[in-house]
Amino acid sequence: MKHTLRNIFHSSKFVVGFAIFMFLLVMIIVYPLINPGSPLEQIGVGTFARPGTYVSLYDAVKTTPETLRIQDADEKRMANALTTEDKVAMLEWFSAVGVDVSGLEMDDSEGFLELWFANYDESAKPKGFTMAKRNYYKRLNRTVLDLQTGEALVVADPDNETGELVKIGEIKKTDYVNVGQVTNVKTLPLGTDNFGRDVLKELVGATKTSLGVGLVAGIVATALGLTMGLLSGYIGGIVDDLIMFVTNLFTVIPGFILLILISYSISPDLRGPTTVAAVIGFTSWPWTARSVRSQVISLRNRDHVNLSKLSGHSLLRIVVTDILPYIASYVVMAFILQVSSGILSEAQLSLLGLGPKTTVTPTLGLMMNWAMSYSAHINGTWWAYLPVILTITLISFSLNLMNTGLDQVFNPTLRD
Amino acid sequence: MKKMSKILALLLTLAMVCGMFAACGGSSAPAATEAPKATEAQAAAPAATEAPAEPAPADDNTLPRNETLYFAGQQWGPVNSWNIVGTNQNNSMAIAGNAGGYRSLMFETLFMFDFMSGEKKGLLADSYEWNDDLTEMTVTLKDAAKWSDGTPVTAADVAATWEVALLTNNGTGGSYKAYVDTVEATGDKTLVIKSKLNDAGKPVNPLKVEDFLTGTPIAQAAWIKTLRERCNDDPTAILNDKGEDVVWSGPYTKYFADEQKVVLVRDDNYWGQDASMWGKLPVPKYIAHNIYADNAAGELALKAGEVDVCQQFIGNIQNLWLEDDLPISTFYDEAPYGVCLTMPTAWYNMNIPVVKDNVALRKAIAMATDYEAIIANAMTNQSPTFAEVPRSLMNPTAGEQALYDHEAVKDLQWAGNDIEGANKLLDEAGLLDTDGDGWREYNGEKISLNAVCPNGWSDWQAAMQIVAAAGDKIGISIEPEYPEWDIMQTRFTDPSQTDYAIFMWSPDAASPSMPWGRCNQFLSSEFVGLQNNWSGNWGQYVNEEADKILKEIPLTTDEAKKVELYTELVKIYLTDVPSFSLMYRPNLFHAVNESVWTNFPSADDGRNIPPADCTDGYGIRALYELELVG
Repeated sequence: MKHTLRNIFHSSKFVVGFAIFMFLLVMIIVYPLINPGSPLEQIGVGTFARPGTYVSLYDAVKTTPETLRIQDADEKRMANALTTEDKVAMLEWFSAVGVDVSGLEMDDSEGFLELWFANYDESAKPKGFTMAKRNYYKRLNRTVLDLQTGEALVVADPDNETGELVKIGEIKKTDYVNVGQVTNVKTLPLGTDNFGRDVLKELVGATKTSLGVGLVAGIVATALGLTMGLLSGYIGGIVDDLIMFVTNLFTVIPGFILLILISYSISPDLRGPTTVAAVIGFTSWPWTARSVRSQVISLRNRDHVNLSKLSGHSLLRIVVTDILPYIASYVVMAFILQVSSGILSEAQLSLLGLGPKTTVTPTLGLMMNWAMSYSAHINGTWWAYLPVILTITLISFSLNLMNTGLDQVFNPTLRD
Repeated sequence: MKKMSKILALLLTLAMVCGMFAACGGSSAPAATEAPKATEAQAAAPAATEAPAEPAPADDNTLPRNETLYFAGQQWGPVNSWNIVGTNQNNSMAIAGNAGGYRSLMFETLFMFDFMSGEKKGLLADSYEWNDDLTEMTVTLKDAAKWSDGTPVTAADVAATWEVALLTNNGTGGSYKAYVDTVEATGDKTLVIKSKLNDAGKPVNPLKVEDFLTGTPIAQAAWIKTLRERCNDDPTAILNDKGEDVVWSGPYTKYFADEQKVVLVRDDNYWGQDASMWGKLPVPKYIAHNIYADNAAGELALKAGEVDVCQQFIGNIQNLWLEDDLPISTFYDEAPYGVCLTMPTAWYNMNIPVVKDNVALRKAIAMATDYEAIIANAMTNQSPTFAEVPRSLMNPTAGEQALYDHEAVKDLQWAGNDIEGANKLLDEAGLLDTDGDGWREYNGEKISLNAVCPNGWSDWQAAMQIVAAAGDKIGISIEPEYPEWDIMQTRFTDPSQTDYAIFMWSPDAASPSMPWGRCNQFLSSEFVGLQNNWSGNWGQYVNEEADKILKEIPLTTDEAKKVELYTELVKIYLTDVPSFSLMYRPNLFHAVNESVWTNFPSADDGRNIPPADCTDGYGIRALYELELVG
C-alpha cells in the first residue's frame, strides 16, 4: 500500500491534478469561513456590478480627510472627463455650427471648454446629426459642466423639521481619505451576477454543490456499473446477455439525450441537486459495466478463481475476494472519470434549463444558465460566466490528470 | 433475441430522436437568419390581385438597404394568413391589435390612438359624435379614403366588417359584441354605431364603443362578400381562410413572406397621399422583418445595424451607447427610456383557501417583496419605482395618475422590503410558526406556496425569484416555478386551477377605455369562472362593491365624481390585495439604430409622435418623417 502510494505520488501528472483538486477543496472549505453567509444573498440591487473594490461613499464623506496636493490630479480629472475622442467630437460640432477653430491646439483643454460653452446649444439640431449623436453631445456637455464646479462640493443634510438643506461639510478637490479608514469597504473580486450576488462567493458555493453532484453521480454510476459488470462477466449466460443487451442499448442511444429526456420528465419541483445527480448516475453506468465485464471475463478462468470455486466458496465471496482486488485500481480510475463527467453533465443540463431547480443552492450550471438568459455573453460581462467555465475546466482537468497519472502507475503497458 | 433487440433499439433510437427535437425546440441556439433561397422565394411570392412590379427578392441584398426599414421583436415564426377578418394569422407586421393602438401598415382603423395624449386622430374617419345619452355615435368617414382596388371606403364596409365579426366571433366580435349593438350605414360616408343597452336602458359601456373606433381594422365589403361566398358563410372556414386576395387600404401591402422573413412593400397608389390625410407617402419603400430565433438574436442584429427598429426588452440598454458607442437610442435618453403603460403583476389565486382567507398573508408577501431590487434587476431600471409612482390601478402616465386621489390612499400604500412590518402583520393575524420549524402555519398546516411565470422570460423569472426570497424572510415558503409557456397558458386561464398560488401576468396597457378596462381586469367578477380566460381577473377575486363601482364609472361624465369612484377602487385594491404589481413596463419597447435611418420620434423633438414602434396607432406618423442618415 505504502509502495503504491509512493508510486502514485511520483507521477507528476497525478501530483499536478491532485494539487489543483486539493486547492479547489481547500477553497470550498476555507472561503466560506472568511466570507460567511448565504452564497445566494443579493447584495447588489442592480445587475452585473464590475469586479473591484467598492468604498461606501456615505462613509467616505464622513471620514476625516487628509489634504494631498497631487500635481496631476486636475489634469487627470480633465483627461477623464474630456478624452481625445470627445475633443474630436467637439471639433465636429464646431464645424457643423460654423465655429472658427483655427489656433485651437488638441492639448488645449481649457480652450476647448471655453469654445464649447460658448457654442453648444442643447436644442440645436445640426444637419446630419442623428438622435444618438445629439444624445452623446448632451451627455458630454453634462460631464464637462461638472468640471466647472468650484474648489469644493457642499455636503448638506435636510433639516428634520423644516426640510431645509443645512450645510454640514464640504469636499475639496484636494481631500483624500485612506481606504483603510472608511468603515464600509467591500471587495468583490468577481463582481456581482444578474441578481446582484457576489460571484466569487456563489462560485465557491456552486463548486461545492457541483462536486457533490459529481460525487453522488460517480458513486451511483460506479456502484451500478461495477455490480452489473461483475455479475455479467462472472455469471455469464442469460444474465450476461440481458445486461449486455441493456448496455448495448445505451451505446446506441447517446446518453446525454436520455439524460435530457429523463430530466425533462421530472417535474421541476422535484428536481433537486440530489435527484439530478442520481439521474446522471443512472444514465452513465453502462460503460463502466462493459469494461468491468471484459476484465472479469479475463479473470474468471484464472487458477485461483477456479480453486476458490472448487473449494465451494459462495459467489459473493469469490467476486469480492478473488476478482475485485484485481480490478480495484481500474474501478478507482473509472470512478474519477465518472465524477468528472457527472459535473460536466450537470453543467450541460442546467445550461439547457433542465438542471436542478433550486433557489437555495447554487450550482455551476445554474450560474451559466442565468448568465446566458441575461445575455452576459453578448453584453461583455465576462465575470458572470468565465470564472464558472474556468472552474468547470479546472475540476475536470484535475480529475482527468489524476486519472492519467493513476493509469501510468497501474497499467503495466504504460509503466516506464 | 438478437432480432428483438435490434428492432427495440431501432424503435428506441427513433423515439429518442423525436424526443430530442421536442425537448430542444424551445432552447436551441439562435441560428442567424439566413437569406431565403431563390426558389423558395419565388414559390412563396404573394399571389396578390395586384402583383408587385418587381420580382420577389432573391435574398437580403436585393432589398436596397436605404429603402428598407428593418424591424425586430414583432414577428415570431412564419405568417399564417393575410385574412384580416380571420383568426390566428400570426402576421404581426400586417395584422396586430396592440393595446397601444392598432398596427395600420396594411389595414386601417377608423381612428388612430395616440397613447401619449389619449387622443383619437382621424384615419379612415374624420370625426365622431355621441348623442346626449351615449347610446348612438355618428361617424363620418374621410372623403379621400380608398381601397387598394381604387374603390372608395364607405360606411357599408364598416357595417360589413361588423357583420362578419358577429358571424364568426373573431377578434373584433369577441371584444365588442357585449358593448356594440349595431353598426348601420346611414349614407355613403356616414354611419351610426349603437351602444348595447343594459336592463335599465343605459349603454353598457360607451368607453368600449370608443375602443372600437381605434381597435377595429376595417375590411372591404366586396371582399368580405367574396370570402363569405367562397366559404358558404361557415364561420370556421371564414376564420381560417388564407385571405391571399385580400383588399387593403393602408400604405403597405404584402410583398414576400416565408420562414425567414416577412416583407411589406409600399403601395404607391395609397389614398393617404391626399392632402386631407398625410399629404405624402411614407418614406421607406420596404418594411422587412427577419424572423429571429430569440431575443438574443434580435438584439445582436440591432447592434449590428441590421435592424432599425427593435421591439424587444434589452437589459441595461444604456450600455449600447455608453459602452459600445453604437448609434442606438430610445424615446427618452434617460431611464426609464420608454413609456411605461402597464404593470406586470403577481396575481393571488383565490381558489387556494389559505390565500383566499388571509388578506394579511396577501398583504404581507406584497409588503416584504423588494420592489427596488425587481426594478433595478429585472427591469434594469427601465421602470419608474413605486416611490416615484405609488402603486394603484393606474399606469404611470400623467393622464391616468390624475384620475385618483393620491392623498386619500396614502395610508394604504406599502414601500416594499418591509420585513418587520410584514412579520408583524402575520403575527397579528395569527399566522404563526407553532411548531418551530421556521415556517408559519395556517390551521396547523405549513403555508407552502409557489410563484409561477413562464420559463425563459428572464425578467419575470428574476421578479418571481425575488418574491420567493421575500417569502423566506417572513416564514412563508414560496417556491419559484417556471413551467414552459405552452403549459402555463393553459393553466392560468383555467378558472378552477389550484396549481399556481402566485403567478405573473400583465393587464392591458393603453386604449381609450383605460384605465377603466384595467381596473375591470384587476377587480371585476365578470371574468370569474370564465373558461379559457384571457380577459381579466385571473385570480378569481370577487368583490361586490368593486363590481358596482366598475359598472358606474363608464356612465359617469362628471370628472370629480369619476376621480372619487376611481379612488374608491384603488382603496379596495390596496386593502384587499387581490394581486400586487411588481414593476411598470412599456407595452412596446422602442429602440432604434440610426445607422441608416434617422429622425425617429423622441420625447423632446416637439413632434408628439408616440413611441409606438413607428407602426401602431398614431405612431405610424414616424414613417412619414424618417430621413436617411447623411
